[in-house]
Amino acid sequence: MQAPPSIDPAIEAATEAGFDLSLVDCNLILSPEERLLRHDAALELAQELRKAGESHYAQSTPAATTAR
Amino acid sequence: MHNLHLLLQRLADAQIDFVVIGGYAGVLHGSSLVTNDLDICAVLTAENIAKLRQAFANLHPVHRMTHKKLSFLDVPPDDTPLKNLYLETDNGIIDVLSTVLGLGDYSRLRKHAVEIPIFGHLCSVISLPDLITAKEAIGREKDLLAVKELRAIAAKRAQS
Repeated sequence: MQAPPSIDPAIEAATEAGFDLSLVDCNLILSPEERLLRHDAALELAQELRKAGESHYAQSTPAATTAR
Repeated sequence: MHNLHLLLQRLADAQIDFVVIGGYAGVLHGSSLVTNDLDICAVLTAENIAKLRQAFANLHPVHRMTHKKLSFLDVPPDDTPLKNLYLETDNGIIDVLSTVLGLGDYSRLRKHAVEIPIFGHLCSVISLPDLITAKEAIGREKDLLAVKELRAIAAKRAQS
């Protein structure tokens, strides 16, 4: 009976830390340029979401004060 | 608008000698983590500073750490020795460091850097082992977490 294939300790540690390594696998298939473009699209989205959140809380704060 | 790759492209077009470091180098190596800025290591000679000014001239570069966000196009005067630059531009944030904690200066980084073709240029990028060393030297929680992913990437590359 064969022993199960051992998992590299580094891969195990990253998985335990919460990394979804399938994302890394996807990145490694891409060219370096594609990795940068995909990253920048994610960064842009994150910035837009942050702005939307700031705008939402800026508008909702006075209303919350009035409701008290 | 955050287009860090456009900043990188401008640096390469301007023929500045630099090494990509930090989280953006991690992305080039395959990291899934999103970073807010482009970090590079370069020798901040008067010539390189002039090239940087020219490269970012129409992107409104400012010193983001200064209270009044002084324009990089005006400050500091030419021939002022600089160790680091922390800039904000229309296309995002770029930090230019003359040394990297745990590793050393540009020449040290360049020695082990990998050459990666990006947008028609061969760009020097900090090697994966050096990036791990640098992040461990910084030692913040977020860097140590990033190291776990970088080590997994190194393991995957070794397996393939």
